[in-house]
Amino acid sequence: MAAVVSGVSVAERAGKYLTFELGSEVYGLPVLRVREVIGIQVAAKVPHAPMHVKGVINLRGKVIPIVDLRMKFGLPTAEETDRTCIIVMQLSGRGTTILVGAVVDRVSEVTSLAAADIEDTPDFGDGSTLPYVLGIAKTRDGVRILIDPDCLFDVCELGNFHSGHGMSAPGHDGSDLS
Amino acid sequence: MNLLTEEPAKTKRRSSKSRKPAEPAKPAPAILPPPSGMSFAATSLGQETDLLTDFSVEAREHIATIENSVLILERDPQNTEAIHSVFRAFHSIKGLAGFLDLDQIQLLTHEVETVLDAVRNGRLAVSSALVDVVLQSVDYLSQALVKLDAVVRGEPSVPLPVDPSLLEKVKSIQNVPEAAEESVAPPEPSAAPAAPAAPAESAPRVTGRVEAARVKVDTQKLDALVEMVGELVVAQSLLRHDERLKSDVNGPIAHKVSQMARITSEVQQITMSMRMVPIGQLFQKTARLARDLARKSGKTVDFITSGEDTELDRNIVEELGDPLVHMIRNSIDHGLESPEDRVKAGKNPTGKIGLKASHQAGMIVVEVFDDGRGLDTKKIRARAIDRALISEDAEYSEEDIYNLIFVPGFSTASQVTDVSGRGVGMDVVKRHIERLRGRIEIRSVLGQGTTFLLKLPLTLAIIDGLIVGVGSGRYVVPIVAVKEMFRPPSDTVHSAEGSREMVRLRDRVLPVVRLSERFGVEATHRELHDSLLIVTETENRQFCLVVDELIGRQEVVIKSLGEVFGNIPGVAGGAILGDGRVGLILDPAGVFQADAKEPALHNA
Repeated sequence: MAAVVSGVSVAERAGKYLTFELGSEVYGLPVLRVREVIGIQVAAKVPHAPMHVKGVINLRGKVIPIVDLRMKFGLPTAEETDRTCIIVMQLSGRGTTILVGAVVDRVSEVTSLAAADIEDTPDFGDGSTLPYVLGIAKTRDGVRILIDPDCLFDVCELGNFHSGHGMSAPGHDGSDLS
Repeated sequence: MNLLTEEPAKTKRRSSKSRKPAEPAKPAPAILPPPSGMSFAATSLGQETDLLTDFSVEAREHIATIENSVLILERDPQNTEAIHSVFRAFHSIKGLAGFLDLDQIQLLTHEVETVLDAVRNGRLAVSSALVDVVLQSVDYLSQALVKLDAVVRGEPSVPLPVDPSLLEKVKSIQNVPEAAEESVAPPEPSAAPAAPAAPAESAPRVTGRVEAARVKVDTQKLDALVEMVGELVVAQSLLRHDERLKSDVNGPIAHKVSQMARITSEVQQITMSMRMVPIGQLFQKTARLARDLARKSGKTVDFITSGEDTELDRNIVEELGDPLVHMIRNSIDHGLESPEDRVKAGKNPTGKIGLKASHQAGMIVVEVFDDGRGLDTKKIRARAIDRALISEDAEYSEEDIYNLIFVPGFSTASQVTDVSGRGVGMDVVKRHIERLRGRIEIRSVLGQGTTFLLKLPLTLAIIDGLIVGVGSGRYVVPIVAVKEMFRPPSDTVHSAEGSREMVRLRDRVLPVVRLSERFGVEATHRELHDSLLIVTETENRQFCLVVDELIGRQEVVIKSLGEVFGNIPGVAGGAILGDGRVGLILDPAGVFQADAKEPALHNA
């Protein structure tokens, strides 16, 4: 088993994680990459976007994309409850920080994980890889699947559906209208 | 105009000494010529970069002042205010350059200052040769500043040496006896120094500019502020329309909320105006260009500007530079006749070219006009028929004919360029203006001149749009693209192959584009006669955009959908609507052409 997963060494994986639930599965996100957690909002659909991109919402004046994590992971869709929320996380891509919101069933807690608690992703033997999984953490309550937001929402993947056409008007900061 | 050599050379640079304030009135101290064999020490740059950046910014402002004032001086040599402002600007640059040990800049500005001092004290008259030398010095300074910026950025660059011949020119101009002035001056009526000190109407403006108190702010901070204020406005409107306030119409809370609403809208106006800059700076630059071009082409040109104080978005001003330069160049090169031809035509040998800016119905209109030969519709028409762009027997309005010069490639044909004179790259100009969401119109009278009207939005950050609904989604259609709206009676709706729909509107048949199909969303109404049809015009094509309902009209702040989405066909950006939701701003051209793209992915 490789000591390096997703370009992050085992030692670097220790730290604080925000855990959240999708159905019966519990996931963890490095807390430093979480900007905030907000309530569910109606997203404006964006044409030609991948299925798991629910659309865009207004985050205090910024328009940010929203991704349905259940759909991204191929889980059955669930009814929205009052615990359904959006985790806004920071992705680093193309030299800038990008905010992306992820819809999850519920947010649980922030937990500290030591390097010894974290194992590499097991080999399932079927050749499938989980490129966005940093590792699996063992806790008293079960396992936490730790994910690397950069690999989860590959900026290129989110953006690669467009075919380079569209109005290119100059915005006030150059990228405003792209 | 460029007499400066670009050959790399060296300038000495030492670490800074104590700051010497640049006092305009002080007599210029003698400055030793720079020692030869200087080497450029890049190591001392570290702590100096901030100072150098400041210098660069400040020097550019001074340069703008100089160019402006010098052109005033050329027209009105007795304008003491203009002389003083040029002198002050050079003096300030010199002082700062000396402080930063920018020897070459200091050397040149010192010499120019000496000349200007002589002018100031009446020992030397303003001649066009002098104006030329001053402008050439300014050119050198601009180039030196470009190099300086490169050094500040840490790029390998060498400071620009002053061309010795330029220095020589500056020096020699002081020695020209005044009697010889007349022979040097071009036949400009205002160049004669005999006129009494006339009060120039433009003079007060110069002083106003110099004395205006300014704070420099990072544009990113400004953008962030604009963004947050936009949010404040939305939050405020949500509060004001809150159900619970309805019961308190005249109560104390409603009163406070409406007080807050007033303040918010004021704050919004101020923030928006902070992004605005007067168009005058741009006019100044083109004035300089017009002067140079006119001299080169041997035509005498009166360059007139008005409406310099008209304000518009900084970004538009920046983007407008190239098209304006292009059009002025066209006007001088081709639009204006030679002085002889003008006399023959019974016109003043001095041609008139000008720029005029004004507010009109929420838009900025920039006029580029000349009193040259005008567009010859017959010639353009003949040329277009030649190229099979139009048919021989069809009737065309003047406007249609004029618009032919915007057809790519049309104008580059030398035949037309020589005759009509317009058009090298007018298609590029048009594209540029359209990218700024503006329009361009032509008015021309054969033999009397041509006027190009550029109609531009006040800002790029805000778009006036119709908010429409399709299913549960909200979209913004830019109002510039909307021609009209209607609900079609059933008997005007036709289809081909069962699915290709079209609508008869008066004497035209227009294709129907359902936004719900293009964007893969569910529409509330299936039948066209229940839906709202928006006649949309884009790139000279009209089509009917089908939406469910019209929700309202609103000025929205354009937001990027972010790097994540890049360019989505048919979408120009996002906007935050009055209820805090996001609506997509449509790009009508992209919506129309969307069939070439992959089918929409989701359908519910």
